[in-house]
Amino acid sequence: MTTPAAAPARRRGSALGWAAALTGLTVAIVYPIPIQMSGYTYFQTVGFLVFLYAMLGIGWNFIGGLAGQFDFGPNIFLATGAYTAALLAVHFNWSPWLGFVGAILVSVVICALITFPVTKLRGHYFAIATVAMWMIAQPIGATWELINGSRGLFIPMKPATGLGEALITLQFPGRSKGLVYYYIALGLFIATVVLFRTVERSKLGYYFRAIRDDQEGAEAIGIDSRVYKTAARCLTAAVFATGGVVYCFWAQAVFPDQVLEMNWAILPMICTVLGGLGRLWGPLLGAIILIPIAQVMSATLGAGPLAGRGLDVIVYGIIIMGVAAGRPNGLLSLPWARWFGRTPAPGSGRAAAGAVEDAPARR
Amino acid sequence: MTELLQAVVNGLQMGALYALVAVGLAIIWGLMEMVNFAHGEFMMLGMFGAWWLSSTLGLDPLIAMVPIALVMYGLGVVVYTQLMRRVQRGDVFAQIFATVGLLLFLQNTVVAGFTSDYRFVSDTVLARLSGVNIDLFGIRLGLPLLIAGLIGLALFILLYLLIDRTEIGLSLQATSEDREAAMLVGIHPRRMFAMAWGLGAALVAVAGVILANFFSVYPQVGLQFTVLAYAIVALGGFGSILGTLIAALLVGVVQSVTVVYLAPAFKDAFVFGSYLLIGLARPQGLFGRF
Amino acid sequence: MALLSLDHCTKRFGGLVASRDVSIEIAEGEIVGLIGPNGAGKTTLFNCISGHYHPEEGRVEFAGHDISRTRPDRVCHLGIARTWQVVRVFGRMTTLDNVICGSLKRENRLGPARARAEALLAFTGLHGKEDVLAANLTLADKKRLEITRALATRPRLLLLDEAMSGLTATETAEAVELVRRIHSELRLAICVVEHVMEVVMPLSHRVVVLDYGEKIADGPPEDIVRNEQVIKAYLGDHYAGQA
Repeated sequence: MTTPAAAPARRRGSALGWAAALTGLTVAIVYPIPIQMSGYTYFQTVGFLVFLYAMLGIGWNFIGGLAGQFDFGPNIFLATGAYTAALLAVHFNWSPWLGFVGAILVSVVICALITFPVTKLRGHYFAIATVAMWMIAQPIGATWELINGSRGLFIPMKPATGLGEALITLQFPGRSKGLVYYYIALGLFIATVVLFRTVERSKLGYYFRAIRDDQEGAEAIGIDSRVYKTAARCLTAAVFATGGVVYCFWAQAVFPDQVLEMNWAILPMICTVLGGLGRLWGPLLGAIILIPIAQVMSATLGAGPLAGRGLDVIVYGIIIMGVAAGRPNGLLSLPWARWFGRTPAPGSGRAAAGAVEDAPARR
Repeated sequence: MTELLQAVVNGLQMGALYALVAVGLAIIWGLMEMVNFAHGEFMMLGMFGAWWLSSTLGLDPLIAMVPIALVMYGLGVVVYTQLMRRVQRGDVFAQIFATVGLLLFLQNTVVAGFTSDYRFVSDTVLARLSGVNIDLFGIRLGLPLLIAGLIGLALFILLYLLIDRTEIGLSLQATSEDREAAMLVGIHPRRMFAMAWGLGAALVAVAGVILANFFSVYPQVGLQFTVLAYAIVALGGFGSILGTLIAALLVGVVQSVTVVYLAPAFKDAFVFGSYLLIGLARPQGLFGRF
Repeated sequence: MALLSLDHCTKRFGGLVASRDVSIEIAEGEIVGLIGPNGAGKTTLFNCISGHYHPEEGRVEFAGHDISRTRPDRVCHLGIARTWQVVRVFGRMTTLDNVICGSLKRENRLGPARARAEALLAFTGLHGKEDVLAANLTLADKKRLEITRALATRPRLLLLDEAMSGLTATETAEAVELVRRIHSELRLAICVVEHVMEVVMPLSHRVVVLDYGEKIADGPPEDIVRNEQVIKAYLGDHYAGQA
């Protein structure tokens, strides 16, 4: 497939890539430990949020990056996931691990049912349809008695008697909670990375990208765009549902306006676009940059005489605009990304890498 | 029956104002296909402008419309030439990115300068007419809202004529269809895009000025209108200014009827539900070109 | 029984009748040329066959199935593949990946799909360009890629829409050579829409001529060039009498 000259180069690049990944993993695993010792669990929460948003970003990359469809309302699946797990815990005493299963199942089924009919809508019309679903979900969430409407659902606090039980119910006392949830988020993030990589290199990945590049052309070679667009969104739904379960047990309560908040849709998208749309590591890069900045700014600028004046968000907005104007294809499209030997997409060799990154996207 | 008609008429009046809110987006997004998450923020700036001019200089909103429109036209042009023009190089998602940043920036600059307190424009010409009604076959038309709706409609028609009947309008349409071909006949795409953004911002800001007569003014007011405007433009169909008007009127009526007969909490849900139903039957919107 | 048959097909766009009462048959393994002046409705017919348009009247039948109202992906599944008048490839994917998208239709797993894709690229002469981004290929290579990708879906009928347009003389000769090779080694039926007479006439077993949406002639190439109506359509009345 590749010319002999290119093959050793790719192997060397790959070795560098593995080294970088392993280093990153070690850092990620070790990171919270000194923090835990010093007692500043705040930074663990930041790490937790980084991996949570990075995971959601990868999830969004299925429908947005690979399949190229504008989905502005993936947060409804965060809500379905959170509520399913919460209901299972409240009414049937299910452990959150089983809650994951239930949440994903319910969310994927709902996603398939409501997305398939709207796949006939193209481009911006599809985007508004996803927003429409979100707008319809809001009053439903606020008034539906089954989920207690706007009064919210509370996970009963049952302090665990031992580590084993705690790991099953995920109820941890204050000091260790941050640590455990950090690792849960990290673990789920890694699982999502594996999922993305697997899908990217599978028939699904090829078909998604074909639909993204030219839907009509894809149909002409036998790809049913309705089925595959729905499949992409279902993968997104599964990841968001997972995020919802994590959030639900971390917050110990689910409120409709919180799980349906626009931030859950916008932030993962922005992290992904910042890092590089459709790229595996885009969401993580974006999340590492944006989330701590937001937290740090809100901690420093947000306090003091100018508190509540939104100064931190102003700076946040300026940064976002700056990156959008300076590097619209995302930070990973900078040539230095090649240094880490990251193979951009299956089959595309190093010769193509430069062209992928520098080719201007056509309107 | 009268009650239903009353609801419909009220809805039409609001719809006329929605049309003005949405038409700016119809130009930027529907015609030039550029996403703008900060659309509602331009409107919010118009509302704050009206409040500020009223409270410091005593200018009535109906007069303040003119300077505000001019200033906001300039802002729209600046936003395009400094920010959006560079973003056009990338994916459409980059436009989302950029305009979300713009949204955060504009909204919080206003928060920083004025706090999030709710404010009201008081003692306006229209407010003084409040309580004056026209009775038409048992339907009550409040004069302030009626006048506001008519002004909105008039501006809308002016804009429609501009786009559809003048050479500038045709140049805009040409640029949106095929940028390169437009260049070949001497049209300057960059100027067209800048003008589109200027017009879009000015129009929605003027809508804000008018709405300031009736709604409270606060920095976060924009988002709900942004979402509504998107639904209206998509419902009306891309590329169709007239479609935006019809869709806006429809949305106003659906909202109004929902509030009267069903649950007020669901008024937006019904609007978007209607969008889905119509969208499934007619994927390109009511009058869409694409 | 014919492999493909269009039976009195009419396609309208609002008030415009793009195709009027057209009936054509293509047999297994036949090469049929479809010619006519611009606007005659050739691409419209292709779109009716491939499922991108549905005719208002008439029937399209392929291998015993009525495909008049069938979706394009199902039409491909049944065995029809096409290329496009304005070349379309998946620009952000590599050449190899483009073809893999095609071969995944018939080979469900990636390994066999990739092997078949590589074999096809060698067959159509794109060997060595597997890793090039499709958007960066020359026009001639893009067209070649389009054809390769179509072949990957194992069609029984291949529709080529102006596959030679925009090519230099050398590139055209190479393309004709490719079509011949495809026909002789893969034994497909091929329908070629073309403007270049030097290409269509030697290549086709049979030629169908359209004018203003209607079929005006249908027969072997030697008969078509002498057909009065055809000459009138292409060159005007002045030349018609000089057949």
